[in-house]
Amino acid sequence: MIAAEHKLHAAPAEVATPAGESEAAEILRECSRFKTAVVPCGSGLHQHIGLAPQPPFVALKSERLTQVEYYDPGDLTIGVGAGMTLRELDALVKPHGQWLPVLAFPDRASGGNATIGGLLATAMHGPLKHAFGGVREFCIGVRFVTGDGMRAKGGGRVVKNVAGYDLMKLLIGSYGTLGVITSASFKLFPRPRQTATFVCRFPGLQNAMAVRDALMASPLAPLALEIISPGAAALLHGHADDAGWRVLLRASGSDQQLARYRDHLGNAASAELTGEDEAAAWSLLENFESALPPDAVVVAVSCPLSDVAQVLRSAERAALERKISWAGIGRACTGSLLIAFLGGSRPEQSISAVHALRASAPPSANAVIRRCPDSLKAGIALWQLREGELEIMRTFKNALDPAWILNRGRYFV
Amino acid sequence: MRLSAIRAKLTAICGSRAVLHSKEDLLLYEYDAGLARARPDFVVFPSTTEQVAAVVALASESGLPVVARGAGTGLSGGAIPRSGGIVLAFARMNRILEVDVANQRAVVQPGVVNLELSEHVRPLGFYFAPDPSSQKACTIGGNVAENSGGPHTLASGVTVNHVTGLEVVLADGRIVELGGKSSEAAGYDLTGFFVGSEGTLGITTKIMVKLTRVPEHVSTLLAIYNDVRDAGNTVVEITSAGITPAALEMMDGWTLRAVEAAAHAGYPQDAAAVLLIELEGLRETVDEQVLAVEAACARQNAREVRIAQNDAERQRLWYGRKNAFAAIGRISPSYYTQDGVIPRTRIPQTLEHIQQVAARYSLTIGNVFHAGDGNLHPLILFDDRSPAETEKSIQAGKEILQYCISVGGSLTGEHGVGIEKRDLMPMLFSDEELQVMRRLREALNPRGTLNPEKLIPGARTCMEIRTPQFPGVVS
Amino acid sequence: MPSATEPVTPPQLDELYRTCVHCGLCLQACPTYRELGLEMDSPRGRIRQVMLVETGQLDLGPGVVEHLDRCLACRACETACPSGVRYGEIIESARARIEQQYRRPLPARVARRIGYRIIADFKLLAHAATLLRFYQRSGARRLAQSSGILRLFRLQQTESLAPQIEDDFFFRELGNSFPAEGARRARVAFLAGCIASVAFAELNRATIRVLQKNGVEVWVPEAQGCCGALHVHAGLQAEAQQLARQNIHAMLASDVDAIVTNAAGCGTTLKEYGALLAADPAFAARAGEFAARVRDVNEFLAALGARPPARTLAARVTYQDPCHLAHGQRVRSAPRELLRLIAPNFVEMPRADSCCGSAGIYNIAQNELSMQILDTKMNDVAATQAEILATANVGCMLQLRAGIARRGLNIQVRHVMELLDDACRGA
Ligand SMILES: Cc1cc2nc3c(=O)[nH]c(=O)nc-3n(C[C@H](O)[C@H](O)[C@H](O)COP(=O)(O)OP(=O)(O)OC[C@H]3O[C@@H](n4cnc5c(N)ncnc54)[C@H](O)[C@@H]3O)c2cc1C
Ligand code: SF4
Ligand code: SF4
Repeated sequence: MIAAEHKLHAAPAEVATPAGESEAAEILRECSRFKTAVVPCGSGLHQHIGLAPQPPFVALKSERLTQVEYYDPGDLTIGVGAGMTLRELDALVKPHGQWLPVLAFPDRASGGNATIGGLLATAMHGPLKHAFGGVREFCIGVRFVTGDGMRAKGGGRVVKNVAGYDLMKLLIGSYGTLGVITSASFKLFPRPRQTATFVCRFPGLQNAMAVRDALMASPLAPLALEIISPGAAALLHGHADDAGWRVLLRASGSDQQLARYRDHLGNAASAELTGEDEAAAWSLLENFESALPPDAVVVAVSCPLSDVAQVLRSAERAALERKISWAGIGRACTGSLLIAFLGGSRPEQSISAVHALRASAPPSANAVIRRCPDSLKAGIALWQLREGELEIMRTFKNALDPAWILNRGRYFV
Repeated sequence: MRLSAIRAKLTAICGSRAVLHSKEDLLLYEYDAGLARARPDFVVFPSTTEQVAAVVALASESGLPVVARGAGTGLSGGAIPRSGGIVLAFARMNRILEVDVANQRAVVQPGVVNLELSEHVRPLGFYFAPDPSSQKACTIGGNVAENSGGPHTLASGVTVNHVTGLEVVLADGRIVELGGKSSEAAGYDLTGFFVGSEGTLGITTKIMVKLTRVPEHVSTLLAIYNDVRDAGNTVVEITSAGITPAALEMMDGWTLRAVEAAAHAGYPQDAAAVLLIELEGLRETVDEQVLAVEAACARQNAREVRIAQNDAERQRLWYGRKNAFAAIGRISPSYYTQDGVIPRTRIPQTLEHIQQVAARYSLTIGNVFHAGDGNLHPLILFDDRSPAETEKSIQAGKEILQYCISVGGSLTGEHGVGIEKRDLMPMLFSDEELQVMRRLREALNPRGTLNPEKLIPGARTCMEIRTPQFPGVVS
Repeated sequence: MPSATEPVTPPQLDELYRTCVHCGLCLQACPTYRELGLEMDSPRGRIRQVMLVETGQLDLGPGVVEHLDRCLACRACETACPSGVRYGEIIESARARIEQQYRRPLPARVARRIGYRIIADFKLLAHAATLLRFYQRSGARRLAQSSGILRLFRLQQTESLAPQIEDDFFFRELGNSFPAEGARRARVAFLAGCIASVAFAELNRATIRVLQKNGVEVWVPEAQGCCGALHVHAGLQAEAQQLARQNIHAMLASDVDAIVTNAAGCGTTLKEYGALLAADPAFAARAGEFAARVRDVNEFLAALGARPPARTLAARVTYQDPCHLAHGQRVRSAPRELLRLIAPNFVEMPRADSCCGSAGIYNIAQNELSMQILDTKMNDVAATQAEILATANVGCMLQLRAGIARRGLNIQVRHVMELLDDACRGA
């Protein structure tokens, strides 16, 4: 059920499990003084991203920061410690008919093990990004400790707030390079009462994109719309018999509202899933990355909507030319794609495919390597960043982690 | 550098018709829609990013402050050059550079007026979602700086949720592109961080925004109450019933009467409060939600729920709301628009508290606000010709904010900190927390030339909570 | 009774500008702000300048006068202002003060004085018009260009704006009554308007015919004069008050249901006679009564219920709101209702209520800016693809025609009354 967690690639010299913000601050102050590298850890789910930490380092774990700071169901807001997992949070809010729309099925997907700190640090998202956007759109407050042990805060616990800098934005996707997140607060959303998923299958990408375009031109607002490459479908369902593209569309609402989707899709939809079937289909997708073989090279591509097809075609061509298989899924209406090259015993072919993808994808697309055998990481840029932006990022890194101890040398700064 | 030398350089950069320096012209740039006043040394109207960069670099060299200005509708003094310097006015950088329907994006210059972008793309079936009540005048550059919200940002999100990329000029004159047309960028979310930074980290010269599809169906309801508390409870009930209206606005009885006199929106004259509720989306969704909202209002003792029957009626209901603040100008020589936020579950008790404050200070305070997201706008009436009354209203405003914070809220939801609330920030943030923000600001704005004296209190004043001063309130 | 040259004190100016809460919501409604982007040339900025001058914080120098002069007095800002600022009164008071206290450079001073005097006096106007007509018809440009009148109208630069003088002036009709067709539904006194009398005599006749067709008896009082609008806008308060007294004398008869005009600018001023003479005990009451009876002809006909015309127009028609009608008198729907009656192909124009840049003698005094505003307007006109641009004020008609000529567009500019007349006559 739950895939094995990816552990740290090297043993930490020390493991620290602060019980609160001031303890974390004290540890970081000391580490800063001695310029000891620190690797903040949640459940370890995303530690494979970036370069492996170089020993010696201290692993700073959030496992004791699991408190509920407040939960105001009437206000649909919650504040929790950074060590709480998505699954635990879901269990807390589900009885009130609410959810944090990161994963629809955190109880099934391995991503449910992700901690709140990890969620923010990696800007993790899944198919629900289609309707709710990334976590940047609903994280309303964050507390963290800077590299040199200062206790910082952005936002608060109300849904609208412009007092001070929006530090949530800075921390989300910062991969633990600016500070150690200790707690965060969120806007919650009403859980849909009834949903249905429409499965569309097509021989070619073009037809799949046509469905996307028609949907975007319509007033319909589904919960998720995911495009699935033939290879991904085969991988997810464990058999390679049907070689088509798929579009999965999940809608919510009353019978009348669902009927609108049915009408809109017409015979483009070949099946309609509800209940357990629906949950199974989406949790497979939410689990996509963990379900990939360990030697897969995985890139997260983000691109403007009009470039989605071109990116997928570039990936397909890159794989074909190298005679390796590939799998891709993604949010076709937000331009967030996850592409895996499956070079098997020839991982260098996968890397070469990534190069080819980057070279042939439109310039507006950005491909970040999320997973790759450690031995090959040195040979390729894991991130694609423009120098101007990178310079600002370094400036901020200097400001918040002057000794550069946080995840030293692992990510883009 | 002497001012005359700077003037010559500014003229060389932007041309003589783009530089104001005479006293009578500068006097017209010492105000915005808030209460603070201060006169710049120059007002410059750049027309290109390169000109902006050159001006900013010049300011940095000469240690002169640079303060960006959009339309000057800000309410927290953001565009006021508190310690003089150069005001960079964006009135002439007001072109819509690109409308990219396929990607649902537009690229605009900062001086583009919010409503004009929406009107420009409406024939294509889109609009720009953030809709501050000042939208017919305020600029998108100003919206970005303040991270502005509006009645319809309840469901669709505030400015930051609709900006995917920026071109900014940094303090040293470097031009940098942040983000782009994609919905996410690698590395730190610099675009997101710059939005709401009130011009203290850089000057925005280009903005990439999301365009939102015009909904299929809209329904607007006016729920009328005899008791403010019932209206407040309705907000909680609607929110927790899982309905997120496009807009959920509240007006108390006093404001209602004042607005009605000015706007003739057809609001009832004898009610204690009304909720203006807008639902939008699929026809089926809206129809169902209208029923659910009507039921919720009825359960909370609404004495009547009116539903706008056509677009004209809908416009009329909104006309009153959108013009509510300024309509107060008809009845009071001056007013102070506060902007506090509370958890939505605390609306009734907070409104009660505001009335207690009003009574204690013998002031009239009206309430018209974004109830759906708990963003209060108490309107404190006073006569700015009387320094005592001015002081009193500022004190009352501060007390209200203190209360907001005590119930878990914030001291500004959309109008920004600016000069007005800079010295109140310690009510919300510890010295250490402010120090972290200061560090980030100094990292990018090392000489402090970009919009100085705003947003974060200086090291010397941050220990004590001072009452904000409004220098030069003209009486 | 105050003498003709001593203006009655303006209303409490500080109460007027205090209602401005400097919110800025009026900025984009202001044509001069839209063109120039300068706070000084915005309503909020102008109010502030007036306030600073009044409170002694700013001298009444060329720097201020320049921006107040650039104001079109279109009052779009009043429509936009949620705070109910009576901007029209503020700018008029300010202009009155400028006239009293500010010495313009000599040529400007002389030209302005003479210009307004001429319009005040029908005989002089007729004389000026004869010369104009001579200029237009004889082609004797050299002769014409040397005449003082032409320099006054600055025809060299604004030639396209000069009214096309009609051969037959409207002065013959003065003093006559025109009977209602069919059952009489109302009796009105008709204000001929001074420029209209010379350059738009046919329009006046068409208006009278339309009124007659709708069962209205029209009386054209003989002793009427200029309404005084230009004088008010230029700050010549005393002259304006004198003209008001004269018109009240001439036109306020007990048996008229309304005092009707087809010139929106005149209508606004007539409707403000009450305020203009509020401080004159001898005239205040009658001025109030007069003002209450004034109706723009569109407003009057729409309220009366216009009779369906003989035929409708096939052409695509759009409408430009005269500022004085839309902002000055808040009359917006009446002309549209009348147009829809005769033009099934009516289309709305974007920013129809934004000034065309004509504004009295603005197009002459501020020619360059006026042309800039006009060109912007033409973009909107062209976008409607209309064949007929209707409006309800002669000043606007002249300016719009000039704009259309500059652009080389093929669009007719017609007064709503002319179109109604065509439709009534089945022409
Ligand atoms: C009647 C009224 C109603 C209002 N309603 C709302 C509302 O509903 N919601 C809301 O959020 N606000 C509201 N406001 C406040 C105000 O309109 C907004 O803050 C608006 O975004 C300001 O835009 P502006 O163009 O007027 O900016 P200005 O007031 O000119 O400037 C505001 C800030 O932006 C900075 N800035 C401007 N341009 C740039 C740039 N290019 N680069 C960097 N910084 C820049 C300035 O330095 C300043 O700090 C209202 C104001 C009024 C008067
Ligand atoms: S005139 Fe009216 S709209 Fe303009 S700034 Fe003043 S109060 Fe606001
Ligand atoms: S009257 Fe017209 S030109 Fe003058 S300030 Fe108002 S809107 Fe602008």
